[in-house]
Amino acid sequence: MEERELISRVLAGDPSAERALYDAHVDRVFRLAYRMAGDMDRAQDYTQETFIRAFSRLQTFRGDAALSTWLGSIAISVTLNGLRKVRRRNEREVGLDDFTPAGHTRPEAEPDLKTRLNQAIDDLPDGYRAVFVMHDVEGYTHEEIGASLGVHPGTSKAQLFRARARLREALADFAKD
Amino acid sequence: MTDDRFDDLLRDSAREYNDPPETPREELWQRIVAAREAEKAASKESTEDADGERSRILPFRRLGHVRPLTWAAGIAAVLALGIGLGRMSVKQPASVAISVPVPSSSTPAPRATGVAYQVATTEHLSQSEAFLTLFRTSVRGKEGNERLASATARQLLATNRLLLDSPAAADARTRLLLQDLELVLAEIAQLSPQPKSRDLQLITEGLEQGGVLSRLRTAVPAGTSATQGAL
Repeated sequence: MEERELISRVLAGDPSAERALYDAHVDRVFRLAYRMAGDMDRAQDYTQETFIRAFSRLQTFRGDAALSTWLGSIAISVTLNGLRKVRRRNEREVGLDDFTPAGHTRPEAEPDLKTRLNQAIDDLPDGYRAVFVMHDVEGYTHEEIGASLGVHPGTSKAQLFRARARLREALADFAKD
Repeated sequence: MTDDRFDDLLRDSAREYNDPPETPREELWQRIVAAREAEKAASKESTEDADGERSRILPFRRLGHVRPLTWAAGIAAVLALGIGLGRMSVKQPASVAISVPVPSSSTPAPRATGVAYQVATTEHLSQSEAFLTLFRTSVRGKEGNERLASATARQLLATNRLLLDSPAAADARTRLLLQDLELVLAEIAQLSPQPKSRDLQLITEGLEQGGVLSRLRTAVPAGTSATQGAL
C-alpha cells in the first residue's frame, strides 16, 4: 500500500491502517529510542508517546518529507525531552556531583575500547549524541537528521564532526595505537 | 592512527552502543491502544465537565505528585516572562501581568496550587497567542525582526516545556495544544537571522493548517477577567 493511501486510511479512522503504519515504522522508532535511552522501560515509553503524538497529529503531516522522517522528528523530540526530564529528576534527587546521565552504565570491568567508547558517547551533549547515534550508529542521512532535529543538514554535519572530535579526544590513548 | 581510520574504528565499535533488543511489537501496540483510549475518555470527560465557572478556564487533573517549590519557581518565571513580553511588544494593560501574585508559600493548598497552574497556563497561552499573531503579521508585512522573534520563541519554548512537564499538561486538550505550540515555537526559535521566505511561509502555513492560533484563542478567555476571576 502506498504511504499516502495508508495515511488517508488512518485519517479516515481505519484501525487496520493504523496498525499497518505502526508495523512499518515501529522498529526504527524503537531502535532510536533505545539507542538514546539505553533502557528498555524508557525506550518503550518514548516509542509509545511517539506513536500517540503521531496519530493525533497526522492531519498536520504535509508530506514535504517522508513519513519516516516526520516520525523520526517526533521520536527524537520525545526522547530528548524525556531524557531531560530524567536528568532534572536525578539532579533534584542526588545532586549534580553524584549525577549519572540517563542510559549511562558505569563500567565495572577493565575499560577496553568498547567500554570507554560507550562512556564517551554517554558523556556527549544531547545534541551531539543524537547526531552521532543517528548517523554513525543508525545510518540516518544528514538530510534526515536535519529534518528530524529541525536544523540544516550542514549543522548536522558540523555537529557530527564535533562529536567525533570529542570522542577522539576522549579516546586519545587508543588513537595513538 | 589516522583520523579516517579512527573514525572507521569508531563507527564499527559504536554499532554496539546501547544495542537494542528485538522490538516488543505486540506489547507496545497494546500500550498505545490503551493509552489512546484513556486519552479519548479523559478528553470526553473534561468536555462534559466544562460548564459554569469551569468553562471559562482550562481544566486540570488532580495534583497528585506536585513538587511545590520547583513549580512555584516555574510559575514565577512564567509570570516574569509575561511582564517582560507585555512591556516589550503587546498593547495590553500592564495590570494584566502585574496583578497576578506569585505564590509565596512553599506548601500551597491544593486548590490554590491548581489555580496557580491555571493562571500560569492561561498567561503562557495568551503570550504565545500575542506573539504568534505579531509574528504572522510581521511575516506578511515583510518587516519582521527574526532575531528578536527567535529569542522570544526560545523563551516561550522554555516555558512551554516546563508546562508540558507539569500537571498543567495532565488535561488531554491542554497537552495537545502545548505539544502543537512546541513545534511551532521550535521552528521559529531555529530561524536564522536572514531566513528564506520559504522557511517563513512554511511556519505560517503550519500555524494555519494546525489551527494553532485559533485553538489558542479558544483556550484563552477574552480580556483579563479570567485571570482575575480565577484568583
